Amino acid sequence: MPLVEIRNLTKQFSKGGETITPLNEVDLTIEPRDFLSLMGPSGSGKSTLLNLLTGIDRPTSGQILVHGTDITRLSRARLADWRAANIGYIFQTHNLIPVLTAYENIELPLLLLPMTAAERRKRIAIALEAVDLTDRADHYPRQLSGGQEQRVGIARAIVANPTIVVADEPTGDLDARTAGHILQLVERLNAELGMTLFVVTHDPQAASVAARRLQLDEGRLVESEAAAPVAALDAGRRRA
Amino acid sequence: MFRFTPYVVKSLWGHRARTALTVSGTAVALLVFCVVAAVQEGLDRLARPSEADRTLVVFQENQFCPTNSRLPEDYARLIAEVPGVRSVVPVQVFTNNCRASLDMVVFHGVPPGQLLAARNLELLSGSFSAFEDRTDAALVGQAVARRRGLEVGESFTVGEVTVSVAGVFASPVAAEENFIYTHLDFLQRAPGRNAVGTVTQLEVELAEHADPDATAAAIDARLRHGPVATATRTKGVFQREAIGDLAELIGFAQWLGYACLGLVFSLVATTTVMAVQDRIKEHAVLQTLGLRPMRVFRLVLAESLVQSMAAGLLGIGLGMLVLGWWGFSIGTEGVAIALEPSLRLAVLGAVVSAAVGLLAGLAPAYQAARTEIVAALRQA
Ligand SMILES: Nc1ncnc2c1ncn2[C@@H]1O[C@H](COP(=O)(O)OP(=O)(O)OP(=O)(O)O)[C@@H](O)[C@H]1O
Ligand SMILES: [Mg+2]
Repeated sequence: MPLVEIRNLTKQFSKGGETITPLNEVDLTIEPRDFLSLMGPSGSGKSTLLNLLTGIDRPTSGQILVHGTDITRLSRARLADWRAANIGYIFQTHNLIPVLTAYENIELPLLLLPMTAAERRKRIAIALEAVDLTDRADHYPRQLSGGQEQRVGIARAIVANPTIVVADEPTGDLDARTAGHILQLVERLNAELGMTLFVVTHDPQAASVAARRLQLDEGRLVESEAAAPVAALDAGRRRA
Repeated sequence: MFRFTPYVVKSLWGHRARTALTVSGTAVALLVFCVVAAVQEGLDRLARPSEADRTLVVFQENQFCPTNSRLPEDYARLIAEVPGVRSVVPVQVFTNNCRASLDMVVFHGVPPGQLLAARNLELLSGSFSAFEDRTDAALVGQAVARRRGLEVGESFTVGEVTVSVAGVFASPVAAEENFIYTHLDFLQRAPGRNAVGTVTQLEVELAEHADPDATAAAIDARLRHGPVATATRTKGVFQREAIGDLAELIGFAQWLGYACLGLVFSLVATTTVMAVQDRIKEHAVLQTLGLRPMRVFRLVLAESLVQSMAAGLLGIGLGMLVLGWWGFSIGTEGVAIALEPSLRLAVLGAVVSAAVGLLAGLAPAYQAARTEIVAALRQA
């Protein structure tokens, strides 16, 4: 069974009498351990697709089956529970909670799951290690650089070991060098930790890292064949 | 349930200037509420049926101020003959001020031999024999002693009356602690008093099954043909009537207490609304991470509650301290309303601050829980 099956997904917005349809009967299947990138012009609906997939927005019509469950039919509360267990969300701007330390930010998703304090500590240690920020655990977001903040955001997204990790332009706010580091990190999530990844990006270089590359235009989703992911990894290293 | 406590506390601490301002303002309002409630409680204590309703006060008719009531001392003998009367204590009352006052000093001159039987006094310092031995000796209620800084051995002058402190006492009746007991004949002879042979009032202890109203009527009837007409009431009724206008004023002050609660509400609500509006995006992020809307609702409510409870602790605690330490009283016509800390007041304060805190948090909590996640995340 595929991990995610999106069927006939349509999303319309009406703004001042005018209706726009960023997603028009879109179909997509995601298998476990897939690494997808999504590109498209600004305003084409990339974020919208991501938001529907993570259940923070609702489609106009269509289905999103995750593990066979249609999440478009869940209540707000059930959706929240579902996200806590299944979704890791990496934002463009890290969106860390400013009054909490890096450690406490990463801990947040774990607080929603049935888990002992010891188990939480262990998972946070692993996540911090994965983003190479063990020595910054007690720093507050304002004491971190942009790249470090984004790494904390990534640690927070992966700490609960979610079914799917999504990222909406995770390098959009960073300089090229830092962006390269972040991209490498994201690749490793897929290559080494076997996480299913869905990354929205404007950067063709970043997109080429993914095994499956999607393009969104005029409400339609098109998939193109990928270049070898290893080559892309090298490209990322060179940039860094 | 409490896993998010650090988040709540740190959110408040993160804006500590704002939180501190809200908490201190709210604490002051709750302090005032507490004092107003204490006044009301003191008044209620006077009105509460108790042993005060088994004691009659015989006073000159149409008078309430102790200065104006002069009854022949030998009325005591006549009253003792009335059926239903167990004992009669002649009392000379002298006060520095018949009008409403915050520092009323009231002397009660009582025959020393009758004082212990008539009053339930617990000596905190000094001795009763020292009081009996000196004619100018006085037993001072601890509230007055505290207010005026009086200690055993000192002498103390009000107007033309100078007494020497022989003891300081506590009493289960809080209002008593605002009185000073002296020898009856001393107060009658005090310079400028010119009251030998007269007393201000006579206190009658009723026999076990005597009916207060019938006995009071019998006493007034018995004395009708004496030189001075009397009005006899239970002590409770007497105090209430003497307090009179002041009680109305206190009833009005209650509105001040309610206004304070309104102030607490608007302070806490304003801060919580601000805290929520500052963090629309943060609440959207939390929901994206998987917090249920209800959880966000409870978190905001908790923030509001923590602030108002902290303020309550501070304001009520301070109020109890002030009331306990200074022994305030409000008095008029020689009757004192004692302001004292009580468990009931503390609990009332805590409950009220919690309730107002919750109420103030409701609307902002609802707003935070209803956040449109996507719209909030799209904000810069
Ligand atoms: N809440 C909304 N109300 C009305 N229109 C909306 C709303 N959200 C998105 N849109 C519109 O839907 C379209 C798709 O928006 P979306 O944010 O998904 O684009 P995007 O591909 O992520 O763009 P970008 O690359 O700039 O982030 C845009 O035209 C946008 O204006
Ligand atoms: Mg977007």
